[in-house]
Amino acid sequence: MLDRYKTLFVKTTLIAGTALLLLPLGTLAQSTSGPPSAGQSGSERATTSASKDRWLHVRVISSDAKGETVRVNVPLELAEKVLPAIHQDRIHDGKVKIDNAHVNDVDLRALVDAIRTTKDGEFVTVQSNDCDVRVAKQSNHLIVHVLDKQNSKKSEVEVKVPMKVIDALFSAGKDELDLVAALHALSAQGDTELVSVKDHENIVRVWLDSKNVTD
Amino acid sequence: MILLAKAALTVGGTLVLAGAYTMREGVIRIDVDEYRAGGSHVHMWVPAAAVPMALHFVPDKHMRHVSHDACQAMPILHAIVKELKKYPDTEFVEVDDHDQHVRIRTQGGRLQIDVDAPDQKVHVLCPLSTIEDVAIQIEQHGPAA
Repeated sequence: MLDRYKTLFVKTTLIAGTALLLLPLGTLAQSTSGPPSAGQSGSERATTSASKDRWLHVRVISSDAKGETVRVNVPLELAEKVLPAIHQDRIHDGKVKIDNAHVNDVDLRALVDAIRTTKDGEFVTVQSNDCDVRVAKQSNHLIVHVLDKQNSKKSEVEVKVPMKVIDALFSAGKDELDLVAALHALSAQGDTELVSVKDHENIVRVWLDSKNVTD
Repeated sequence: MILLAKAALTVGGTLVLAGAYTMREGVIRIDVDEYRAGGSHVHMWVPAAAVPMALHFVPDKHMRHVSHDACQAMPILHAIVKELKKYPDTEFVEVDDHDQHVRIRTQGGRLQIDVDAPDQKVHVLCPLSTIEDVAIQIEQHGPAA
């Protein structure tokens, strides 16, 4: 009777041991899944972020012979946390040093102050045969629109930056741009397209939303 | 006979436990193939948990040297990995040329870097927790530590 229990015990222990041995192999199999197949797009593989994280997306689509596509998805919070860790050249503690706030004899800070206090309106409107330029403040956004008509192939650039982001950018001390504060202000904004560039062979988009996947 | 079974069980059990402990964080996989004359072909699978353990056996002077060389990069790497662990599986960078593909993404708590080009293929898969452990250990040997 005792021998039967002993045999049973040995068998049970062996089975449990084998199961334990196979457990890490399962982990191994999971962690060695191959690289993504070419047929799968990034959007298909990625999962949608369920949290309220804000994501900055950059997409470049080139329609030239190479047909290059670039997709970058960065959580703003990650950038906010990582930037202060960078201490190199002009970047320290999430701030970038500029030699002086006078760039080409333009006092940037004074210019920003002036734009902030000004009512909505068009500041610059240029219409010529070569290009159209429009700089305006509209619904608390600074908008720059350039349409280049020089070539037969037109190119169009539109930049739309919330004023709060510009304020935050210039909120640091003199001769400094506060990148972290700007990112923080940006994260408080709703879904918005910040930059759009279109020409005959390239489309560039920079936008902000709550998804960790591109369209 | 019973003594032999006990000994086998002890050895087997120890091996199982050691295997389970070593493999608990998966593996680090590095595949590099250079398609040219004399090109490198590196295929390496290392248990992820073994790397931070192995670092404990690296002489202090070598760790200090590494830490000194990487003193600027380590806090950045540490911050990136710490943050990446908070996010779901994501494709952070994807570049598709007609014959070149680069992907940097996280998948199941692992950082995956894939480079496919006509002249070389590089695939790296490493658990984020391992990168964090290594970054912490290297930082600990830094001048500020």
